[in-house]
Amino acid sequence: MKRRDFLKNIAVGSIVLNIKPNILAQEKKYPDLAVVQGELPSQITREAISILGGVNRFISKGDEVLIKPNIGWDRTPEQAACTNPQVVKTLVELCFEAGAKKVKVMDHTINPARRTYVRSGIAEAAKEAGADVPFTNEHKLKKVPINGQKLKEWEVYRDFLETDKLINVPITKHHSLSRLTLGMKNWLGALGGNRNQLHQSLDYAMVDLAAFFKPTLSFMDSYRILHRNGPQGGRLSDVKLHKTVAAGVDYVAVDSIGAHFMDINPGELMFLKIANERGLGEIDLEKLTIEKRKI
Amino acid sequence: MKKERSKKYRAVQILRILSQTLFFALFFYLLLGTHFPGKDYIGNVEIFFHFDPLLALTTLIAARVVFLSFVFASITIVLTFVFGRFVCAWVCPLGSIHQFFSFVFKKSKLLKPKLIKNKLPTLKYYILIFILVGTIFSLNLVGILDPLSLLYRSFAVGVFPVLNHTFSNVLGLLYQAEFYSIADPIAQFLTTLDINSIFTQVFFIGSLFLAIVLLNIHRERFWCRYLCPLGALLGLFSRWNVLKLEIDSKKCIECNLCTLHCETQANPFPNKDWKSSECVYCFTCSSICPTNAIRFPLKTQMEKIETVNLSRRKLLLTSIVGAVLAPFFRLSPESKRASEKLIRPPGALPEKQFLEKCVKCGECMKVCPTNALQPVLKEAGPEGLWTPMLVPKIGYCEYYCSLCTQVCPTGAIKELTVPEKTQVKIGTSWINKNRCIPWKFGDPCIVCEEHCPVSPKAIKLIKAEVKTPEGEIKTPLAPVIDIDLCIGCGICENKCPVMDKPAIYVTSVGESRSEENQLKLDLISGSGGIY
Repeated sequence: MKRRDFLKNIAVGSIVLNIKPNILAQEKKYPDLAVVQGELPSQITREAISILGGVNRFISKGDEVLIKPNIGWDRTPEQAACTNPQVVKTLVELCFEAGAKKVKVMDHTINPARRTYVRSGIAEAAKEAGADVPFTNEHKLKKVPINGQKLKEWEVYRDFLETDKLINVPITKHHSLSRLTLGMKNWLGALGGNRNQLHQSLDYAMVDLAAFFKPTLSFMDSYRILHRNGPQGGRLSDVKLHKTVAAGVDYVAVDSIGAHFMDINPGELMFLKIANERGLGEIDLEKLTIEKRKI
Repeated sequence: MKKERSKKYRAVQILRILSQTLFFALFFYLLLGTHFPGKDYIGNVEIFFHFDPLLALTTLIAARVVFLSFVFASITIVLTFVFGRFVCAWVCPLGSIHQFFSFVFKKSKLLKPKLIKNKLPTLKYYILIFILVGTIFSLNLVGILDPLSLLYRSFAVGVFPVLNHTFSNVLGLLYQAEFYSIADPIAQFLTTLDINSIFTQVFFIGSLFLAIVLLNIHRERFWCRYLCPLGALLGLFSRWNVLKLEIDSKKCIECNLCTLHCETQANPFPNKDWKSSECVYCFTCSSICPTNAIRFPLKTQMEKIETVNLSRRKLLLTSIVGAVLAPFFRLSPESKRASEKLIRPPGALPEKQFLEKCVKCGECMKVCPTNALQPVLKEAGPEGLWTPMLVPKIGYCEYYCSLCTQVCPTGAIKELTVPEKTQVKIGTSWINKNRCIPWKFGDPCIVCEEHCPVSPKAIKLIKAEVKTPEGEIKTPLAPVIDIDLCIGCGICENKCPVMDKPAIYVTSVGESRSEENQLKLDLISGSGGIY
């Protein structure tokens, strides 16, 4: 957004707020969360985005978009340790349909990236849709102020800082420290440095990072859910076919619905509680407008 | 007399240089290609080694087994019987490096050829005998000096890391200057090459290689002349040699230029002193001859060739020294009790058989996707120098990867499928509660558990009761290990946030290849010694 447009928007916005508050009320015609269940990952992904008002609400013509799936582990899609490749692919397609100039799909992986990019199926799927799938590289690390409650500064890959739009696409998984790994934990994959030390204050670190990155859109892949042995699993018996995706702008709400899918009350999760208390988003599902569809 | 150099042999020389370039390029291509190929199984990237008769012979004698892949070595042997040591000057990639640098040093006047008359460079034959005597006692030292092993190891462990470091620095400068559009594709390409660049012995192995190259300043192709055991073996094989040197005495002006510039001391002049066992058919003599007097006519009739003439006394002495020294390479504490740090790659044979077969080439170290496999310095005793060892602090054994087992040229690491490999235990993990963050300070950290690749996980979390220095009681989740599930991959040690000396570490005990290096009674009766 150009500065002039920004100022204009503020001007128009303040006029609207002052004179006709009911226009603003009309503005909110989209639900907070879209939850779609169905057979095909690509289909439910499209449907979820269209419930939220279509991809044009999030991506503008000429945008550079970075999509951040979880590609951390050398695991197949069936093992549900990484984001579903079809979900990623569909999001890439949607971005291009909205006129995105460039779409990058990347992650700072845990197992060697050349392996995880392949075995997860994400590199191939994203490339098919026309995305760039670069590996992270240490020269692009930049120490930046995170200004969080616990995290003051950390090294972040510049790709995540220098993009117009960020889309977070986590997968719903079990984790023995934060109990679940959802969207907010996914941001560890944008960091360099000794990120394993973050685990000593993981809940706070996750919230600080989520508040720092503020994704344009959060998209929860719950097509397959890893119930035990997270975050990398391995056994197919630990995986449940849930065939659902959820999406929304409020990343705390998206993580909350993810927790709900795992039959956990969002308020029980430390990081969601912290995020909510900091006013970053809603964790009470009752207070959210959720549009559910089955296709 | 009309002075004219042979155009024909100039052409042959150019052909030879082409052949050398081609084979070196092939060797280099296979070397670069020895990395994760984007799928679980890699092709025959180790094929070069199977044409090496020295490796075939030593593996056969030392391990007393026939390894079928070495059938290709017979091609080299047959060709050498007929054509002599042409492999050294037309095929061998290490030979090409030496020839190239000899040329460079000569041109830069660092190397001044010296006339050595009628002297057989015998040292390499004694080296060969020494190695072969060792193999009779199942002591396989060939990998230290076999030219292919030496070259592969030097490149994988010495040269590549240095190049990678240099490229990376240049890349860093490009990024600093914000030339993203140039730097990004280069960075992406470098990552795709998967060059392992952290090695415990970069300095040692790299310097040795540099020294061997610099020896060319002293004598042209120093290595090939005096040291190469494969050259010696091929020298012994070159018996028939259909191409024999012939000097036209009418044309010869006895300038000695041919002998002076002979790359391997084969002594072309006088004709009768030409040593077929030393001649590598580089055709330098015939093309350098100012009067075109030297030819290599085809002679198909059997003719007795003067074989390598070694002093009986020295031969006997070398054999005795070899036999006496063999135990010197063996007698180390490691032969009595397994070394805790000696974590062998998955599929490695039991230690004794492993050492008999391993030729220290470094294929496994090159292909390892996490840079985990490192050349051993002392953990396996003197005979185990430069054999592979997993160092978890540097890398770990990737769960769904069996690449090292696929590229081993001698079967010292048994070829395994990925599902087979996941069943192999290479060591056991231990927790140092004095350094572990939850156990010591009561703070949360489950990094090792999170990374444990087996399911169910070998690292369990229990509620610990920890007294902090302030006297406060904390109850964090703290890791414990189920040693029956642990496969010793080392990812826990590798990812442990305690940087200097990880609070969780792997030792070799419990490795499924060994019957002795076990821990619990019920494991001894188990699958010990399978791999």
